[in-house]
Amino acid sequence: MTREEIQASILAVFAEAFEIENPELDDDLREVHEFDSIDAIELLAEIEKLLKSELTQDEKKQAMGIRTINQICDYVESLAAVRLKPA
Amino acid sequence: MNRRVVITAAAAITPIGHRKDDILDSLTNGVSGVKPLREDKLLSGHLHSKVFGTVDYDIPFDFKRKYRKTMGPVAYYACQVAKEVIEQSGLPTDFVTSGRLGVSFGSIHGSPTVQRGIYECFFSDSDETYTSINAVDYLKSMVHTTAVNITKMFGITGRVIASSTACTTSSQCVGFGYETIKFGLQDAMLCGGADEYDTTTVAVFDNLLACSTDFNDTPHLTPRPFDDRRDGLVVGEGAGAVMLEEYEFARKRGAEILGEVIGFSCNNNGGDMILPNAQGVTDAIRLGIDSAKVPAGSVDLVSAHATATKMGDVVEAQAIRKTFGDAPRVVGLKGYMGHTMAACGAIETVLVLFMMQAGIIAPTLNLEEIDPRCGGLRHVTELIESPFSTAVVQNFAFGGVNTTLFIKRFD
Repeated sequence: MTREEIQASILAVFAEAFEIENPELDDDLREVHEFDSIDAIELLAEIEKLLKSELTQDEKKQAMGIRTINQICDYVESLAAVRLKPA
Repeated sequence: MNRRVVITAAAAITPIGHRKDDILDSLTNGVSGVKPLREDKLLSGHLHSKVFGTVDYDIPFDFKRKYRKTMGPVAYYACQVAKEVIEQSGLPTDFVTSGRLGVSFGSIHGSPTVQRGIYECFFSDSDETYTSINAVDYLKSMVHTTAVNITKMFGITGRVIASSTACTTSSQCVGFGYETIKFGLQDAMLCGGADEYDTTTVAVFDNLLACSTDFNDTPHLTPRPFDDRRDGLVVGEGAGAVMLEEYEFARKRGAEILGEVIGFSCNNNGGDMILPNAQGVTDAIRLGIDSAKVPAGSVDLVSAHATATKMGDVVEAQAIRKTFGDAPRVVGLKGYMGHTMAACGAIETVLVLFMMQAGIIAPTLNLEEIDPRCGGLRHVTELIESPFSTAVVQNFAFGGVNTTLFIKRFD
């Protein structure tokens, strides 16, 4: 999954699931779009669907400091890389 | 402290209409809101009762996602009637968020639709249930979901009371809200109750042989409060809300006052969880009369709980005779819409207010031949166009909880 594909998927999730259209990639989602802790938990579920893989508790906790779309994309990119790494 | 408490707004979503005009139109024209039970792919095929008091019209919910995301269907109903009473009351936003307004609102068990979704994952063979139960599901299905979705949507920071006592849920909510203002703990309370379409509730009563089954092909003919041919209750859905305010506060701000709450009682039968109890109901009515400080003979209208069960109606009729005599008129409003569960006390309060304002008393729908055991009362069997001043709304619940709420026209 390329960075562009990840970004497109995350923006689609924001539009469809959170009704947040075209956020700036570095917007503070909490400040600008009232994205709250409930949304964050729902986003993790969406990311699990995207990766077709369950996240570990540690992986979920890593997401708690995320504030922007760019940071979300970084996060998903790192998760995807781990999952694609050959055993 | 013993302050007067008035009603400055009232709204309801009911099987017989949403707005006041629609509801009054149904009441004056004998329109029933009981419809065939919908197929739910789970229980409906197994139930003996095939009728439901159904809200089958569109409601233009206009809630942003940040509110919707924690709401099941029951909270939609609750927030809609809450929105309507806040708007109707004219209370300014700075008061609503000041901490002087509280919420007293409940449902019988959160959102059963959401709970059903949770249970489905336990029986699912799918392995795509990574996070099938999450915090949002809990927020939608928890027992105080209606009250706190209301506080969230309107930024209400006062007390929260979330009664959940089955059929007395919202009558308790109004009563406890009344007492909260009366004793000076809040200056206003948004009170009510809601319940959504749910066949599990039907199943409960169906298994207890308490549901109506004889009129499955003619839903509008059931339930039949106090009628000789009554065969049980009909479960329904809906919501009701009132805004209660301390009288001087309401008067000074020039609020329109729809009525005054003058008394409330709540007791328990202290025994059986299901069977109606004549002594408990009689005691509850007497406590209410004492609370309202009115002569029993001065009460004009009894809005009876009257679910149309075989024994419940008889016990209630006996208790009314014993406490009020044959002076007040008696109406069973569930004849129009079935038993709206947690919402019934609030809805019936709103309907009584609407009738009080319009100067009419609707007849008990489907009361054609009064069961002699329910006789000796002034049952309303045809529309009465006559002003009335004082009414009592009676409700009784599983668990042996009884309530009465006394309302007076404000002149």
